[in-house]
Parts: sequence; C-alpha cells; structure tokens
Amino acid sequence: MSSKESCRIELRTAIRQLSDRCLYSASKWAAEQLVGIEQDPAKFTPSNTRFQRGSSSIHRRFRTNEITSTPPTGVAYVSTPVMEEDEAIHGDFYLLAKSYFDCREYRRAAHVLRDQTGKKSVFLRCYSLYLAGEKRKEEEMIELEGPLGKSDAVNRELVSLERELATLCKNNTIDPFGLYLYGLVLKEKGNENLARKVLVESVNSYPWNWSAWSELQSLCTTVDILNGLNLSNHWMKEFFLASIYQELRMHNESLSKYENLQGMFTFSNYIQAQIAKARYSLREFEQVEVIFEDLLRNDPYRLEDMDTYSNVLYTKECFSALSYLAHRVIMTDKYRPESCCIIGNYYSLKGQHEKSVVYFRRALKLNKNYLSAWTLMGHEYVEMKNTPAAVDAYRRAVDINPRDYRAWYGLGQAYEMMGMPHYALHYFRKSVFFQPIDSRLWIAMAQCYESEQLHMLEEAIKCYKRAANCNDTEAIALHRLAILHRELDQPEEAAFYYKKDLERMEAEEREGPNIVEALMFLATHYKTQKKFEEAEVYCTRLLDYTGPERETAKSLLRGMRIAQSGFPSMDVEHFHP
Amino acid sequence: MAGVVKAPGAFAITPHKVSVCILVNIYASPSQISVPFPFSSVSQHNRLGLYLLALTKSCDDILEPKLDQLINQLREIGGLLDHWLTDHVTSRLSSLSSPDDLFNFFNELRETLGGPDSGVMEDDQVILDPNSNLGMFLRRCILAFNLLTFEGICHLLTNIGIYCKEAISSCSSYELRRVDDSGNDFESLSEDENMDLNLVFKKINEEMEARKRATEQVSFHLHLPKELSTLVEDIEVSADPKSEHNDKGRESSSYASGELLRDVDPNGGVFLRTNWQIQGYLMEQADAIEKHGSSFTLNAFELTLRQLQKLAPELHRVHFLRYLNNLYHDDYFSALENLLRYFDYSAGTEGFDFVPPAGCNSFGRYEIALLCLGMMHFHFGHPKKALEVLTEAVRVSQQHSNDTCLAYTLAAMCNLLSEIGFSTTSGILGSPFSPMISVGTSLSVQQQLFVLLKGSLKRAESLKLKQLVAANHLAMAKFDLTHVQRPLLSFGPKTSMKLRTCPIIVCKELRSGYHLISEFCCEGSTMTADGAFSTAWLKNLQKPMGSLVLSQDNGSRNNYNPFLFFTQPSSIPGSVMQLVGSSYLHRATAWEIYGSAPLARANALVYATCFADASSSSDAALVHVKLIQHLAVFKGYKEAFAALKTAEEKFLCVSKSRILIMKLQLLHERALHRGHLKLAQQVCDELGVLASSVTAVDMELKTEASLRHARTLLAAKQFSQAAAVAHSLFCMCYKFNLQVESATVLLLLAEIHMKSGNAVVGLPYALASLSYCQTFNLDLLRASATLTLAELWLSLGSNHAKTALTLLHGAFPMILGHGGLELCARAYITEAKCYLSDPSFSVSKNPELVLDPLRQAADELQALEHHELMAEAFYLMAIVFDKLGQPEQREEAACSFKNHVMSLDHPHDVEDPIQSDTLLNA
Repeated sequence: MSSKESCRIELRTAIRQLSDRCLYSASKWAAEQLVGIEQDPAKFTPSNTRFQRGSSSIHRRFRTNEITSTPPTGVAYVSTPVMEEDEAIHGDFYLLAKSYFDCREYRRAAHVLRDQTGKKSVFLRCYSLYLAGEKRKEEEMIELEGPLGKSDAVNRELVSLERELATLCKNNTIDPFGLYLYGLVLKEKGNENLARKVLVESVNSYPWNWSAWSELQSLCTTVDILNGLNLSNHWMKEFFLASIYQELRMHNESLSKYENLQGMFTFSNYIQAQIAKARYSLREFEQVEVIFEDLLRNDPYRLEDMDTYSNVLYTKECFSALSYLAHRVIMTDKYRPESCCIIGNYYSLKGQHEKSVVYFRRALKLNKNYLSAWTLMGHEYVEMKNTPAAVDAYRRAVDINPRDYRAWYGLGQAYEMMGMPHYALHYFRKSVFFQPIDSRLWIAMAQCYESEQLHMLEEAIKCYKRAANCNDTEAIALHRLAILHRELDQPEEAAFYYKKDLERMEAEEREGPNIVEALMFLATHYKTQKKFEEAEVYCTRLLDYTGPERETAKSLLRGMRIAQSGFPSMDVEHFHP
Repeated sequence: MAGVVKAPGAFAITPHKVSVCILVNIYASPSQISVPFPFSSVSQHNRLGLYLLALTKSCDDILEPKLDQLINQLREIGGLLDHWLTDHVTSRLSSLSSPDDLFNFFNELRETLGGPDSGVMEDDQVILDPNSNLGMFLRRCILAFNLLTFEGICHLLTNIGIYCKEAISSCSSYELRRVDDSGNDFESLSEDENMDLNLVFKKINEEMEARKRATEQVSFHLHLPKELSTLVEDIEVSADPKSEHNDKGRESSSYASGELLRDVDPNGGVFLRTNWQIQGYLMEQADAIEKHGSSFTLNAFELTLRQLQKLAPELHRVHFLRYLNNLYHDDYFSALENLLRYFDYSAGTEGFDFVPPAGCNSFGRYEIALLCLGMMHFHFGHPKKALEVLTEAVRVSQQHSNDTCLAYTLAAMCNLLSEIGFSTTSGILGSPFSPMISVGTSLSVQQQLFVLLKGSLKRAESLKLKQLVAANHLAMAKFDLTHVQRPLLSFGPKTSMKLRTCPIIVCKELRSGYHLISEFCCEGSTMTADGAFSTAWLKNLQKPMGSLVLSQDNGSRNNYNPFLFFTQPSSIPGSVMQLVGSSYLHRATAWEIYGSAPLARANALVYATCFADASSSSDAALVHVKLIQHLAVFKGYKEAFAALKTAEEKFLCVSKSRILIMKLQLLHERALHRGHLKLAQQVCDELGVLASSVTAVDMELKTEASLRHARTLLAAKQFSQAAAVAHSLFCMCYKFNLQVESATVLLLLAEIHMKSGNAVVGLPYALASLSYCQTFNLDLLRASATLTLAELWLSLGSNHAKTALTLLHGAFPMILGHGGLELCARAYITEAKCYLSDPSFSVSKNPELVLDPLRQAADELQALEHHELMAEAFYLMAIVFDKLGQPEQREEAACSFKNHVMSLDHPHDVEDPIQSDTLLNA
C-alpha cells in the first residue's frame, strides 16, 4: 500500500476535484477517509492539522506538485491526474452554474452551460440535467400514485443524455466523470453490461470517485461478475472489494479487508461502521455495540448505518438505549429512512406493532427499495398475526434482493405459522443457503422437520447439528438433539448431547428443568450401561434438586448399591427371567 | 400495498376520458331540436350514442387507446360526419393549453347534465339524465377532476399534449396503413423509443410464422378465450368490415403471444383492454400453453408477460402464467420460483377459478398453493415430494374447511398414485399422520388408491363439482380396468372366477362422464369468465354498423342477451370437451386391453375427429400413436411409416414425445422381423434411455424397454439371457403391481422356454399367463396365450397334436376377428403343423386343409417382412408339395424358403430414409 502521505495528497486533490464537479457524496466520502488517515505523531499538532485542512495556499502548493506525487511503491500506478481547466471566460460561467447547482437549481445550471464545450462544463451540464430529471421523477412518483403502488415515472432526461454521452464516448472526448455519469444513465436504462464496462473504465482512470465504485458494486450481484471485472490495482480497489464482499455475504473476507484498511485509515468512521456491519452479519453483537457507541461518541449526528445499531439494540432488548437513539435521530433528521426504521424498531420492541408498521411504512415511502424496512415490516405483521400481509412484505423484500436471508426466513416462519411446514421448508432452505452460520435459521428449519405433520426426525437432527455448530446462543439445539436421539432410541448419542448440554449450562451457570432432565437421563442411562460410578455422580447431583426427581434419584442410588453389593445374585436374576 | 389489494377501479381522469367527454358533449349538446346540429338522422345520432356507451363501459382498462385509434373508430361510426367529429375532438383537445382551460371545460360539461329538478322535460329535447350511463360517466369524470390537486391537473395537461402529439405524428402512417390495408405493418412506426420494441416483435412474429409453417397447428380457440380472440378480430375496426378482414384477424390472433405487444404498439390498432380482458387473455394463454406444451414459444411469451407486469404490477396472475410457461418448458427452478412468488403475492385469492369469490376468510388460500406445488412436483417427476406436498395440502384444506380444494387435491393424489409406480407409500401416505387413510400401513398402494378414489368421488359429488366428478369417474374406470377389486391378495387358480376385473363397471364409469356434457349444455354461460362480459360490448359494436337490427330495438333488450347470442358459438367449455374426449381415449385403451381392435380403432378415430380442437397436444399425439400402431399391426409397416411421417409433421418431435417412442417401437419390431438384430438392440437401448430420463422413471416405458430387450435376446437365440431379463422384469411388475404387464411377461417366458426346446418348463408359464388374462379379461392376449400353449403341446410330441388343435380352434374366432397379421399367421402355421404332425392325418387326402392356411400365412406375413415365419411357412409348403408329388411347386416353395432364410441370416442393408433419420435424431 502506498504511504500515508501520498494517500493524503491524492485524497486532497480528489476532494477538490470532486466537489468542483459537484459530486458531493463522493467528495464527502473521500474527505471522511482523508481525516481517517492517522497523523504522523511526530508532526502532529492540533494547530498544524487545522491549518492544513483550512488553508488554500497549501492546496495551491500541492497542485503544483501533483505530477510528482506518484507513490514510490508503484502499487497504485494511477496518479492523481491533472484535469484540464476550462478557460477563464468559460470558468466564469462555470462558477455561476456551480452556484446554481449548489442552490439546487439544476435546470438553471444546465442552461448556463449550454454552449460550453470544456469537459468539466459538459459534465456539469449533463449531471445537472440528470439530477433535474431525477428530481422531477421523484416528485412525479409522489404526485401520481405514491411510491408503493404503480408508478411509471421515468427520468425524462435519460434518452437525450444517453445519446449525448454515447457520442462523446465514441469520439473519445469523455473524462472519467463523464464515464461515471454515462454508466449511471446506462444502468438506469437497464443496459447493465455496458454500464459495467463504462464504470470500470471510469474507476480505472480515476479511482477516487467512490460513487462510481458504489454504482459498480450495485451492478455486481454475483462473485462471477466480480471476478470478470478488469480492475487496475489501487488502494481504492480495496475499499471496493471490502464493500462488495460484504454485499456478497463473504463477511470474513470483507472483515479482513477492512481491518487491513484500518491500518492506514485508522480513524475512519466509515470503516468502523462497515466493520460493525460485517460483525453484525457475523452475529457478534457485543462488539458491534461497542463499535457503534464509539462511533456515536466521535460522530454524534451520524445517521448512516444507525439502523444496524438499532437492530443490535433491539436484539439485546436495550429499551432505554434504543429510545435514546430514536430520540437523537429524530432530532437530527426526521425524514430519513434510517430514522423511521429506528423508531419502528423501538415501537416493535415496546410491542406496539401497529405504530411500528406506520413508521416502517414511512421509511418505505422515503425509499421504496429499503430492504430491511420491508423485512422488519413483515416481522411486525407476523406479530400482528396478519400472515398474508407479512408474506407480501417479505416477498417484496426478497424480490428487491434475493439474497436477503431474513426475508426468506420470515416467509418460512409465516407459512409455518399457517400450518404448512412442508411449504415453509423451501423458504427456510433458501434462508440457510444465504446465511449458513445463523443457528436460529437452522433451528427453525429443524423445528419444521420435527413438526407433527412432517415428523422427519433424521433431517431435524441434521439441522440441529448444524445449529449447534454455529454458536447457538439460546442453547436450544443441544437439548433438542438429546431429546430427539432419545426418542429415536439412540441412548449413546442422547447421552453425548445431554452431557454436552449439561456442560454448557454449567459453564453459563444456568438453572432450570433442563438440568434436571439431563441429570435424570444420564443417571438412568449410565445405570443401564452398568457404569455405576458415573451414574452415582449424576444421582448425587440430582439430590440437590427438589421434586419427584430427587426421590427417583434416591431409589436409583439404592438400587445401584444393592446391585453392586449383590452382584452375582443380580447376574443370576438377569439371566433367568 | 402489503397485504391490501389495491382497489382496482381508482377512477382517474385521463386524456382519453377527456376526449370521450368531448364526444358526450357533442352527443348531448343542449339544443331544442330532436336531432342536434351536426347529425343528419336519428340513427346516426343513436350510433354515436351506442359507441359512447361502449366506450364508457370499458373505461376501467389497463391500456387506453391512443387518439389516432379513437379517430379511426370515429371514422367508422361517424360516416359522413367523420371529419367533423374528428376535427372537433382534435381542435377541442388542442385548445386545452392551460390549466384554466381544463377548469372551464369541466364546468361546461356540468351544463350538459340535466339538473336533478329537470326531471320533466320535453320529449324532443336531448338532456343527459345524470343517472344514465353516460351521465354517470360524466359525473365521475367531473368528480375525479375536482379531486385532482394542482399537480395532477398539470400532469393531465402534459398528458393531453402527448396524446395529441402522438396522434399527429402517426397521422401519416395512418394514411400509409390505409393504402396497403395491413394491420401488421411496422414500417410506419415513427417514434424512436418504440423501435427496439418493434424489432423484438418483428422477430417474434417471424419466429411464430416459421413455426406455423413448420408445424401445421390447429387453431386453438377454446371456450372462454374464444371471446377474446374473436374480439381481436372485431375490434380492429377497418375501413371495410368484410369477411376478408375477419380471416386476417383470426390469423393474427393465433400468434396469440405477440398480440399483447401490439397493445403497446401505438399503431397496432387494438382497442381497449379492460382488466377483465387481460385476465381473460391470460386465461387463454394458459390454455394455449397447456395445449401446445413445449411448442409454445418460451421467450416471446416471457417478454410479453414481463411487459404486462411492468404495466400492471398489481396483476399477480402474470406470475402464474410465467410459472406455467416455465413448467411446460421444463425449467424447474424458474417454475418453482414463480409459483411461490405468485402465491406469496396473491395469497391464493385469484389462483383458481373454481374457488367461489366470496372472501369467507381473510386468511388467504395457501392450500391452493400447496395443490399447485404438488402438481408441479408431479409434472417434474418427483412423485415422493409431490405426495408429501399434497398430503400437506389435504391437511391445510381440511383445517380451513376448503372442501373444493380438498376434493381436487384428492383427485390429484389419485392421479399421482395411478400414474407413477410406487412399490410402497409407507412413510408418506401410510404414516399415521396421513389424513385420509387412517387404516394404517397394512394396505397396499392399490387399496389406498381405491380408498382415495372413492373418497374423492364422493366429495366431488357432494360439492357438485361436475368436472371433477367426471374426471374421477374416468380415473375409477382406469383403476377398474387394471385392478381386480377386493382382496387383491392371491391370484391362485382357485379363486380366479371371483377375482376378475369387470368390463361392465369400467363401461359404466366411462359412461357417467357423458352426463357432464349434457349438464353443461343446459347450464350455458355460467362457466364463462367475467372477462368475456365486458368484451361483449365491443363485440356488439360492429353489429349496428353492419345492419341496423340491433340499434333499433336496443332499448327492449338488456345487454346480456345479445352477448349470449353473439359470442357463444359453442356453449360447451373446452375443458369439458377435453374431459369427454379423454373418456373416448380411455375407451380406446380399454378396448385395446380387452382385445377388440376394431372398437379401439373406432374410439380413437372418434377422438381424433371430434375432439382434436379441444385436446391437449399430448392427448392428440396419443391418439395418433394408437391409430398408427393399429395400422402397423393390421396393415404392415409401409402404411404405418407413411402415417408416422404425417404425424411427425403435425407434432413437433420433442425429446420425449409419444410419437418418438412409437417410432422406436415400430423400428424395433421391424428390425426383429427382418432379422436386423444389431439395429433392434440399438433401438431397444434408446428406448431404455428414454425410460429413465431426468424427469422420473416412466414405469410403463421401462417395462416396455426391458420386454423388448428380452425379445431381442430371444431372437438372437440367447435363451438363458432372455429368460433372465424376462424373469427380472416379471419381478419388477410384481413389485409395482403391474398385473396386465405381468401377463405379457409370463407369455414371453413361455415362448422363450418353448424356443429353447424346454416345452415342459414353458407350460406352467403359459398357464399362469392364461389365468392372468382371464382375471383381467384380456381376451386377445388370452387367445395368443392359448396359441402359445398349443405350440407348446405340439412341441411335446406328435401325440399331443390333437390337444393342440382343439386349443387352437377354440382361440381361432378371437384371433381371426381381432388379432393382427402376425398373430393370425402364427395361428395358421401352427394349425398346419398340427395337421402335419398328426399321424392320423393324410396330406394326400386333404391337401387344401394344410395348404390353405399356409398360403394365407405367407400372404399376411409379406406385409410384415417377417422372414423367420415366412421361411417356416414355405418350408412346410415345400414338404406338403413333396408329399403330394408336385416337384415344380415344391421347388418354388423351397426357393422362397431359401430366399427368406438367406435374408434372415444376411440382413441386406437396404435402409429406408425413416430409419437413418431416427438414428440421426437420436
């Protein structure tokens, strides 16, 4: 990886170039990473950094050095390119257009630039036209039918934009930003293959545009597509890979990439949040909570990825923390899908499912492709026993992203609730296919097999075994395994699992009827096996408990003592009945 | 919306409705004279009125007509007024240039309506009654307009602009269209955006055309879809409504899957499509898919469906159609995916049409999903899975007391059990969790099937599901045909008299299917889809133009009657036809098994001639197979292969079609007769491969293949191997309760032992086969078993010749009346042999008694090219002539004998095209 300093230089230039082209979210992202780079402790003084960030003279100085800033390691062979600047007179128009753009007057901005031919101007004109079309599309969507129903609103600028950009591309007079926009337009038009090609070209010649990478990511839905991409080496590629691995549910790969990147971008909130999300997918909730708490301390007004945090709080049933978070996000920005989702989660935790549905609906109105809101809404409908509505919501989630294991799981659950375990199995199978490390899914599937209607115990055992292997926090699997083996008349296996379950309960210091049950079984089992010593141990442990088991244990002990003392007579008895 | 079905008829104001409003305004302009200004006669005025009624009736459509389509229709309606009307509409529309114009326009409209107090009016004054159809329409439009937000008004305005612009841009193309008078020209398309769409459609069209040329398909108009497809003809209002146009319409409607694309095509000239119409269209397509199976174009239809889905995302039935499409193209994963998606979205509420629409429970009808899933697994050949799913379906439908679904599920289960060979159902059906059969696991599959069938029939009868009753009767007949009733435990000779299948019962069951047709005749239209209803309006549209009959007495009729009158050429729904047709198929099969060739042939012919239109492609193929087999057995191979050629042209020869199987069978038999053993083995192997394809093992085919394998081995004189194969085959038949087949296999075993010179061993086999035949009333097979028995006796020594002859003579009526060429020839030869080996018979006294049958045998075998038997016949002839002392004739016979033996030993390779053809194909 290139040195921190060169990274910093590249990013600084990129931020300036990106925001000059009004690619604000990309520049926001780049800036976050820039600040995330660890400062050299020797040079680090607070005033120094403040100066560096604020001063334009520094920028100017760096601009003159741009060409020499190629990293010496040679890994990233794309250096920060010098973008050609439009001439001064056109530059004035550009400034006007940019200010219009900044005031969200997109059409006006495009109009100002109508006769400009510089690459930068052309890009900004096309970009503002695109955004104007998008804005109108959004408005029309609301005006026509609402985002949940039928909507045939389209971006009316796409056709002309595509034509213009295609010509530019053909004449080879297009810069990486133009390529990015072209890719965007192509994707919207449904021409995914070409879009992918164009975007790859864009990121290869200008890797610092994170928006281009994200668009590319949304076009790579399988590993095969990803492997088919011809990407040049650059540290930005690492970010891309980490992100897409997460999307493709290769969580461990993703996590290692992020941790690698964290070596350089030590203070990057973005990386921290992504790590949290990856860990969330790996169900390491404790760590996730810590990370998010840390993140919120540094960046208290952050909304991105906070819905994941709320999910963690929900799973851990932290009422007050969740309500605090909900309060905070609503003060920050009420009309963000994440905010609505967090509030929905809060109401759900409180058991007020109707209200919760209202907020999820609002989140979906804000972004109808908001995957987790559909799924969570499905959960709420399940709670409200409105299974058809739940099925519908889950199905929409699945149709948006077929890899969403939660929605598949929800579908399975809904059908199981309706007494259709066989039908539900298909959905559970889908769900475990996408998330094989979640014990709950395996347990749900096992319960399905175990159900009275199917009674396929062998299969249930297989599922429970998988569940037991993937960190079953609720410890259902071991217990069920023991019981199933007992029912199938396989005492050896049953004893094995009872023992394991017992060890586990001891380790977690749990109490309850399961312990008694396990002890009882083990005692009788070892007695029939004539392993009296073990049996005695379990019997004595049983004596600590009250209830009928205690009496049974006593009689067992008595019986064993008699058997041990009168071994021969017992033997005779055994053979001549 | 999640879980909430969106109200279908959210009445929104659209440019099309605005122009209808303009027309209504013209029609009912407040004037004092009886015929308002532009109209010259009352009938002209009325005609516009009728047209407007039709338009308003179908205002809840998915796609509205473009302005130029409207103008085209106005040309039809308006007659002399044509120009005035179109000009008026277009100018009025284009005058709407600001939101305020729209406000004024709708205010004007309000004046057209008579107020509530203006109930008393003069006779000759035209004022729209606010409660009339047109008045209601206007009021709804005005209300919808008043409810619009300002943004909505802006949208309406832009839409009107687009609406007008499109009409203008396609005006020139309209002229062009008039010149060559073709509805299908695409050159005239002017808009860029439609270009690629058109290219696609063009391609599809070409593809369909090519297919049509390749396979001369029967036109597929069924009951409910009929209205729809005829609708297409009628609504393409052309300049001259002559029959020539209708023909074209019919033709175009048989590219049914391209049809919808034309909707989107602005110049396609298609009228309104209501929601119901789309439903109807989808149903038609569903029938078409079933009928044409895999010859239906997958991708073209998929494209149409995708487009439809984009236009109407709430129309979930599209998913179902996609499922069907994938199902018939053997795409398991997509089929499964689409099926589940469909039921997830629709909750089964629009799944099947037999479900009463009353939404008695809000739970949804997921049991139907299970039923469909079960049938899908069955189709893909996962019988065990299918059975599991169907069991669940039974349970869930019991739970939700959906008796209809339960009855259908039981029927599906019966079908599954009878079609697919289960050696045992224990663990699936017989498990204590099975809902129906609580009797336990002790029952055999057949008994379970019987119980199920009875239960299903009773249920269907009590629910008055006529089609299901008929289908159940057919299934029952099938069961009775191949299974003896009651104990089913032993087949010893002692009880053989009691344990028999009963042809009368079979016949009774088959007959009860006919009641269906009479019941449907009197019931009439109750089964038609609602989609047909709204189309009736448009259908009638043409009538007032052609003649004035309807327009004059329209007031006295309600709109339902003309609908019935005009749109129902045949009142019998296609599915009923299909059922009745399949009862004929069953009869043909039954007679085939019982051994009456002429009756089997007659029934097959009835089916082929009367029910060809309604039948699915697989049923039609089956009938052809039966007829061709008949030809092969009775007329020889030449004719059979000629017929096969035509059949192959008719049905696309897909991977596992019946036609292909039959072709292999014919080839195998001919190869055996000619002595091409290598070829026979090759063909036999191919059959074996077909039997165990990816989609489940076809027990019937598997038995067939190994039977033929044994035959080939026998012909190659590898007796022990042949016996081994036949033996294992018998074991399999026994295991899977294929008793009819067992009889055949036993007979084959007897033959093998006879040919290997072990007549004593063969005898018990022949006798066992005979007893099977008696049990199942397999008369023809019994005759041939008797023949084999006679041959066996004969080969035991000349002192048994008398016994053999008596046996043979007993079987003769059956053999000569119903047997094929080979069987007759064998019987003749055996008869001759009996006489010859009888020591008390003297040839010189009565030569014709021997020579006559031999000559006949030789004649009949000629068509079959059966060298082995021919050689035998000529050999015997030569001996007879020798004894008679006629050396010339003896030499002649001996020469023929030599020829046949030579060609048997050295099969000369004069291959005909058909044979090499298959080998290439295979």
